[in-house]
Amino acid sequence: MDKSVIVCRCEEISYEEIEEVITQGGRTFDDIKRITRCGMGACQSKICSKLVAEVIHKQTELSMEQIYPPRFRMPISPVSLEALATDSQQFSTVKSVLDEIELTDGKVK
Amino acid sequence: MNTQFDTIVIGGGVVGSGIAYHLSERSQESILVIDRKYPLAGTSGSTQAWVWVHNKTPSWYAELNYYSAELYPYLSKKIGDVEYKRTGGLSPFFHEKDRVKAMKLAEAYKEIGIDIKVLSKEEVLEKEPFMNPDVEGATYSSIDGNVNPFRLIDMYMRAAKRKGVQYSTYNPVHDLQKINGGFIVATTKDTYRCKRLILAGGTWSRELGKMIDVHIPMNQVRGQILVSEPLKPFLNHTVSGLRQANNGEVLMGYSMENKGFNRSTTLNVMQETANMAIRYVPAIKKAKIVRAFSGIRAMPEDGFPIIGAVPNIENLYVAATHSGVTLSPLIGTLITELIIDKETSIPIERYGISRFA
Repeated sequence: MDKSVIVCRCEEISYEEIEEVITQGGRTFDDIKRITRCGMGACQSKICSKLVAEVIHKQTELSMEQIYPPRFRMPISPVSLEALATDSQQFSTVKSVLDEIELTDGKVK
Repeated sequence: MNTQFDTIVIGGGVVGSGIAYHLSERSQESILVIDRKYPLAGTSGSTQAWVWVHNKTPSWYAELNYYSAELYPYLSKKIGDVEYKRTGGLSPFFHEKDRVKAMKLAEAYKEIGIDIKVLSKEEVLEKEPFMNPDVEGATYSSIDGNVNPFRLIDMYMRAAKRKGVQYSTYNPVHDLQKINGGFIVATTKDTYRCKRLILAGGTWSRELGKMIDVHIPMNQVRGQILVSEPLKPFLNHTVSGLRQANNGEVLMGYSMENKGFNRSTTLNVMQETANMAIRYVPAIKKAKIVRAFSGIRAMPEDGFPIIGAVPNIENLYVAATHSGVTLSPLIGTLITELIIDKETSIPIERYGISRFA
């Protein structure tokens, strides 16, 4: 592949940028993702993951079987916040910062 | 590879890499950073990365965060653009009764010289026009902001490497041993010797400490975060729970769960997070979420940083904390001072590990 080839279309990350992370010791798709943003865009690595695996394979001693795909997370396809939201106004796990402040004898400790 | 070093830092996250960089700035001695995976694979790579001072209590702990936030502009000049933005921090409240708490907080901070304002509804809406008009007020501090954590650690690593620091990645540590004049560090790839050892294992600090019989009372807290598609810039501040990155994406979340090292994302917390975001900024409901992620945060048993020399084991240091992004420039500076100057520019005895003894 030519060094200037764009591997990640969403974030416009080139072959060369991916190669550099591997030179610095990165070994997985997620290492490359965090340093370059490759795969962090709208498609969430659906387009580039195989290409990146090929680059890793070429640049390291790793065989294709040893190269794990990136971690997929919800939502599988972009979804609006209102579709995800519920009518509930109760918060149990999600807090506000002020909730965490405790008063002792009417004073912040 | 050489296996003899003056200093070995275990953990290449924001705390470990921060220490390695700051030490390399002032010392010609050899330094090795060992990481079980690759830096950013753990906590440091799964955070909203606020550089956050206000709302932290007690006020002496806020003061520590304040000093560290003050170091950020200089850090960016030294290591490169880490997309640090001092946006000011805003913590909105929706019930009038929270104003009392907010006023008490401002009072407590005034004593240590940190200025927090308690804003009225109108002032909040002036600062953040897209905020829900149901908001009653907010606490506001100009020192707060955020940073790009990926760039921060990448830049720390690059700057440290330029100063001769070596990194050994994908190299978990299996055993630590104190010997005369130093330590033996046994890892998957090799066995190393060093004069000085720094434990910066973050969430794994407890396990790391056990290898050398030091009790580091560290627990894990899971936080889940939603990421939106890039949106036109509309959030001016770092809002506790929401922030907009340079590329326009919005990170949202403020959840805490005790789930050990389980890094799953769960639908119920994603839903609550969506509810929170829409409550704060109703117009965001049309925006699309592209990803959810979760991070395991380091949480010392009493919530406060564990930093300093380990008593009775010469040349052993520990740096393990929550809020590692905010505190890393200061912790890097303090550990370096402790090693080179034998004293620190601000007192850190309060944060010593001996408080758990």
